[in-house]
Amino acid sequence: MLRLLTCAGVLCLLAVGAGIAAAVSRQDPLEKAAAVQRLASVATIDSNTEPAAVPASTPHPIPARMLDSGVPIPVAPSVLQLRNGWLVSDGRKLVAIYAGAAGDHPPTGRVVVVRQNLGSGRQTIRTVDARATGALTITAAPLGRSVETSAQTGRIHLRTAAGRALHLDLGTETLGSG
Amino acid sequence: MRCAACVLAVLALFPAAASATPSPVAAWYVYGSSPAELASYAYSRGCQFARSQPGGGLRLLLLDFGAARKLSSGVWGTIDFSNTIVANADILAALEAAADGYHNCHVRGSVDIAYGNSNYHLSGSGMSSTDAWYAGYHQSERAEDLSDYQATKGYDSQTSDASSDMEPSWDAASITKQLVNGDAAQGWSLYYDFGSADGCPQSGSSDGACNNGWHVSDVGYVSYHGLAMPLPEIYYSVNAAQWTVMRKWWNANQVDDYVFAGVTATTGAGLTPTAAWNTLSSLNGGLVGSEVACFGC
Repeated sequence: MLRLLTCAGVLCLLAVGAGIAAAVSRQDPLEKAAAVQRLASVATIDSNTEPAAVPASTPHPIPARMLDSGVPIPVAPSVLQLRNGWLVSDGRKLVAIYAGAAGDHPPTGRVVVVRQNLGSGRQTIRTVDARATGALTITAAPLGRSVETSAQTGRIHLRTAAGRALHLDLGTETLGSG
Repeated sequence: MRCAACVLAVLALFPAAASATPSPVAAWYVYGSSPAELASYAYSRGCQFARSQPGGGLRLLLLDFGAARKLSSGVWGTIDFSNTIVANADILAALEAAADGYHNCHVRGSVDIAYGNSNYHLSGSGMSSTDAWYAGYHQSERAEDLSDYQATKGYDSQTSDASSDMEPSWDAASITKQLVNGDAAQGWSLYYDFGSADGCPQSGSSDGACNNGWHVSDVGYVSYHGLAMPLPEIYYSVNAAQWTVMRKWWNANQVDDYVFAGVTATTGAGLTPTAAWNTLSSLNGGLVGSEVACFGC
């Protein structure tokens, strides 16, 4: 009965518009209810009709570098069991490579390619599988400032769990031997 | 009969939340190289989000700034996906730029701009549980700061919250819970959990084991305690099954009813965003809100 009364009142489940649903926790229902009510009160028109200033956009390249285990990975463990990663950006386009094994099937070697067009904002995430190779590890990749653009379509060298050499062609995003 | 009134209220007020397959909206992982670049980047994402926003409702603009970190004494922030250290002050500036971008390009509907981080290797970076608590506290505080900015600027179509990609495999449950506790103590932000239930059971309703020493109840805590709201990663069908077990465990052991704000989806995995939402919804009829935040979309 307590549950029913709580839900039936102001502290009940509430969905907002076409997007977000929220609910109330019994630990501090008023607290969550306030946040939910805030969502419900958001208007669809701004009272301010003046445009805001647009921040300056200057390309900030990131030299090609390996990513160690201290750098967070955006790819979930269910998708990739990470071995190591690599990253480069010329300030307009960014490529990040994460190598390892498929999270849902560890015998499968997997590379995840994250690309980002910093102008358009388009961010893509693509997985490339290597069949039953075990986890893949990046062994060599372009590094430094001089390759910030060229490396985005270059080669990333990989090693399978059994020690076999593979490479990832970033131009085609395909795996090959050697 | 448990909370039937809740479900009926949702169905009556917002039919889309219970039945129709929602359109996904883009979410972004932030790769920065400097605070100035972050602001410019976030501005563009806000504008792009507004231009492509489907429908007239409230949608979540999720910017994931990386792993929560204590940067120095009294200074919190993140380390982003390009290994750039970003202080909360710079994140707030970026979020304000996103708000500006959304305002300048606003077409329809409204937005909830969320400061996202993760529990990636909190302990490994030297953070204590107290540090994690403060990370959550200040994350919520910055979201409130953003709300103040939105109000001051007359951005009435906007609000703000916090979110975290909390993955059992990335750190222990005890320290991860402190992110949620800190947020709740500050008290402003809903805390969207866009993480996983890695390794959790796929059937039943018991407090089974998950990865890294977590249990179903731990996932329940970080996704529904205090101001936490579940926006779970549904990348494969098994994820929907795991989160359904989570919901059943919660409902069997807590007084209130567990509902999902929606789902987090991605490209490059097993399920399309639409399939992700449909799969979770099919197992939790009427209990899945219609948000679909999609990375890579």
